[in-house]
Amino acid sequence: MRITGNRLIDLAAASTTKSQAAVATTTEQLSSGLRVNTPSDDPQAWLAAQRTKLRQAMSQGTGAAVQAGRDHLEVTDNALASLGDIVSQIRTLAVQGSSDSYNATDRAALGAQVRGLFQSALDSANARTSAGEYLLAGSASLTPPFDAAGVYLGDAAVRALPSDGSVTTGVTIAGSALTAASGVDVLPLLDRIATALSSNDMTTLVGALPGLDTAVKQVSSARTQTGGAMNVLDQTTSARTVLEQNLQQAIARFVEVDAVAAASELAKATQSLEISRAVSSHIVAMLAPST
Amino acid sequence: MSDLLSLLSLGSSAIAAQNSGVAVATNNVANANTAGFSRQRVDLESLAAAPLVGGVRSASPQRLADDLLSGRIQTAAGSLAMSQAFADALEELGSGMATGGSTVDEQIGAMFSRFSQASAAPTDSASRAAVIAAARDLVAGIHRRSAGVAAARKEADARIRDGASSATALAKQLAAANTAVARTDDPVARDHRDQIAQQLGKLTGGQSRIDHDGQMRFVLDGGAVLVDGGRAASLAATPDATTGVARLEVVDGGNRRDVTTAIAGGSLGAGLKFRDQTIAQVSTQLDQLAFDVTSSVNAVHTANAGLDGATGRVMFTPITQVAGAASAIALDPGLAADPSRLALAAPGSGPGDNRGALALFALGSQAVASGGTRTLGDAAIDVVSGIALAASDSRGDATRDGMLADHLAGLRDSLSGVDTQEELTNLARFQHASGAMVKFVSTIDGMLGSLIDQL
Repeated sequence: MRITGNRLIDLAAASTTKSQAAVATTTEQLSSGLRVNTPSDDPQAWLAAQRTKLRQAMSQGTGAAVQAGRDHLEVTDNALASLGDIVSQIRTLAVQGSSDSYNATDRAALGAQVRGLFQSALDSANARTSAGEYLLAGSASLTPPFDAAGVYLGDAAVRALPSDGSVTTGVTIAGSALTAASGVDVLPLLDRIATALSSNDMTTLVGALPGLDTAVKQVSSARTQTGGAMNVLDQTTSARTVLEQNLQQAIARFVEVDAVAAASELAKATQSLEISRAVSSHIVAMLAPST
Repeated sequence: MSDLLSLLSLGSSAIAAQNSGVAVATNNVANANTAGFSRQRVDLESLAAAPLVGGVRSASPQRLADDLLSGRIQTAAGSLAMSQAFADALEELGSGMATGGSTVDEQIGAMFSRFSQASAAPTDSASRAAVIAAARDLVAGIHRRSAGVAAARKEADARIRDGASSATALAKQLAAANTAVARTDDPVARDHRDQIAQQLGKLTGGQSRIDHDGQMRFVLDGGAVLVDGGRAASLAATPDATTGVARLEVVDGGNRRDVTTAIAGGSLGAGLKFRDQTIAQVSTQLDQLAFDVTSSVNAVHTANAGLDGATGRVMFTPITQVAGAASAIALDPGLAADPSRLALAAPGSGPGDNRGALALFALGSQAVASGGTRTLGDAAIDVVSGIALAASDSRGDATRDGMLADHLAGLRDSLSGVDTQEELTNLARFQHASGAMVKFVSTIDGMLGSLIDQL
C-alpha cells in the first residue's frame, strides 16, 4: 500500500490526540475522584449507583424515623420512671397513713403531701415532647391525655414504625396502659388516696392499697415495654448502619475511581503520549529534508 | 539537413513533454495540503518512429481518483456525522438531566424519606414542612427537566432549519460544479465536486452517483433527488401546522416532497432522530412520571387525614392527562400554605396516628409507575439511563464509523494523496530528461550550424 508523508503525519497526529485524550480523562478522574461524572461515562454503573442511592435514601428515612422513635421512647421512659417513683412514694405514704399510730391530723398532713405528689404524677403523665406532643395520649397526641382528676381522655392507639422489613415496633405507649383496661386507673387511684388521707377515710385508704401494688406493676410493665422497644430499635439501628455502610461502599465502587488503577492508567497513557510525540518528531524530521 | 531539422523538432516536443511532467509534479506538490485534491500523473507516449525519427509526447494529465471509493467515503462520512451528532446531542441532554443538583430519582427518594421521618413525628410542624419542601423540590426538579427537554427540542429544531439552509446552498454549489465539470472536464473541478458531495453527505446522509454522462446526481434517503446534473432542488424547512417544528421538504420547481421521516443519516438525520424520537420519548417518559407521581400520591393522600382529621385532600394538583403533565405538576396550593393538611394519619384516628405517613412512605417501594411495572424512583432513573445507554451505543457507532472513515481515508490517500518525496523524485526525473533534451537540441543546433557554415 502506498503511504504518503501526509498520511504518516495524520496517523501520528491522531495517535498523539488519542493519547492526550487518555491522559486528560485519567487526570480528570484522579482529580475529581470520580470514574463516572455523567451517566454516559458508564450508563450501567450510573444506573446501579442511582438505584443504590434510592435504596439508601429510603433506608436513611427509615433510620431517621427509628432514631426519632427511639428518642420518643426514651422521653416516655423518663416520664414513666418519674411516675413510677411517685406511685411508689404514694404507696409508702399510704401504708404509713393506714397505720393505727396515725391520727386524723397526721393523715391530713400525709394527704397534703400525696396531693402534691398526685399533681406531679399528673404532670408526668401529661408530659410532652420538645415539639409539644403529649407522650401518653395515643393518637390524640395534641390534647392532654389526663384530666385534672387523672381520668384518661386519649385512645389506645400505639404509633408503630417498620423496624425490620415488614416487622413493626411500637414507639409510643398509650396512656390506656395506666387505666383499668390494664389493671387499675392509676391516677384516679392516687387522687382517691390523697382524698382518703385528707378526710381520714380509712376504709377507702385500706381498700386502695392493693390497687397501688397493681399500679406500681402497671407502670413497671409500661417501662419494660419501652425498654424492649428501645432494644429492638437499637438492634435495627445497628443493622441499618451496616447496611448503609455497604450501600455507600457499593455506590463508591460504581462511580468512584480506583486510585491505584487510575494512577497506573495515567502512567500508561503518559508513556503512550511520549511515544506518540517521539514518533511524530521522527516523522517530521524524516520528511523535512524533502520539504 | 532535413533529418537534422526533424531531430530538432523531436527535441522540441520532447522538452515540452518533459516540462509537462515537471509542471504536473510541481502542481501536485503545491496542492499537497489541499483538502480533497487528487494527485495527477502525466503519461508520456512515444511517437511512432519513422526509420530515423521518433519522439515523445505527453498525454493529458490523468487524475488519480476512484469514483466508487469517493462514494464509499461520502457514505461513511454521512454515517459518522450521524452517529457523532446523535451521541453529542444525547450526551448533552443526559448531562442536563443528571447534573446541576439532585436528579429527579434522588428527589423522589428524598420525598419518600421525608414521609418516613414524618411517620415518627406526624404532628411535628418541622417534619411536615420538610415533607412539603421535599415535594416542592421534586416539582421544581421535574419542571426544570421538562424545560430542559423543551429547550433541547427547540435547539434541535433550529439546527435542523440551519442544516436545511446549508443543504440547499451545497446543492446549488454541487449543481454548479456539475456544470463546470461538463464544460471543462477539469480534474480540479471534479475534486471540488467530490468535496461538495462529501459535505452534503455529512449533512444529509444522502448518496451521490456519477452517471454515464459524467454528471453527479445526489439522492437523499428515501429516493428524493436533490441534485441532478446542473439542476438543484432546495431543502425547505416549513413549520408543521400542529407542532410548529420544522418539516423538511425537497422543493423542485412546483413539486414538493416531504422527507422529514426519510432522512436518516448525516447531522440532519441525527437532528431529526433526536428531535422526533429521543426528545419525544423522553418528554413522554417525564410526563408519565409526573402523572404517576401525582395520581399515586394523591390516591393515598386523599384516603388519609390531616391534623384536623379531614380526608379527601390532594397533595398535588390533580392532572387529568399524561400529555403535558411534567410542566403541569404542582403542589396543591392549600397544602403548600398549610402543612397541617398533610394527610399523615389514618382516617378516623387522632392526629398523632402515623399510618397515612407509613402508607405514603410505602408507596416509594411499590410498582405504581409505568403502568404498574416500576417504582416511581426506578421510572425516574429509567428516563436518564435510557438516554445514557443510547448515547453510549451511538458513541460506539461513532467509533466504528470513525474507524471505517479512517480506513477509507487511508485508501484514498494511497491512491490520490500527494507524496512530496515521490513528486520531488518525479520532478528530478523530468528535469533531468528535459535538461538532456536541451543539450541534445544544442548539439543538433551545432551540427546544423557547422553544416550551414560549410555551405
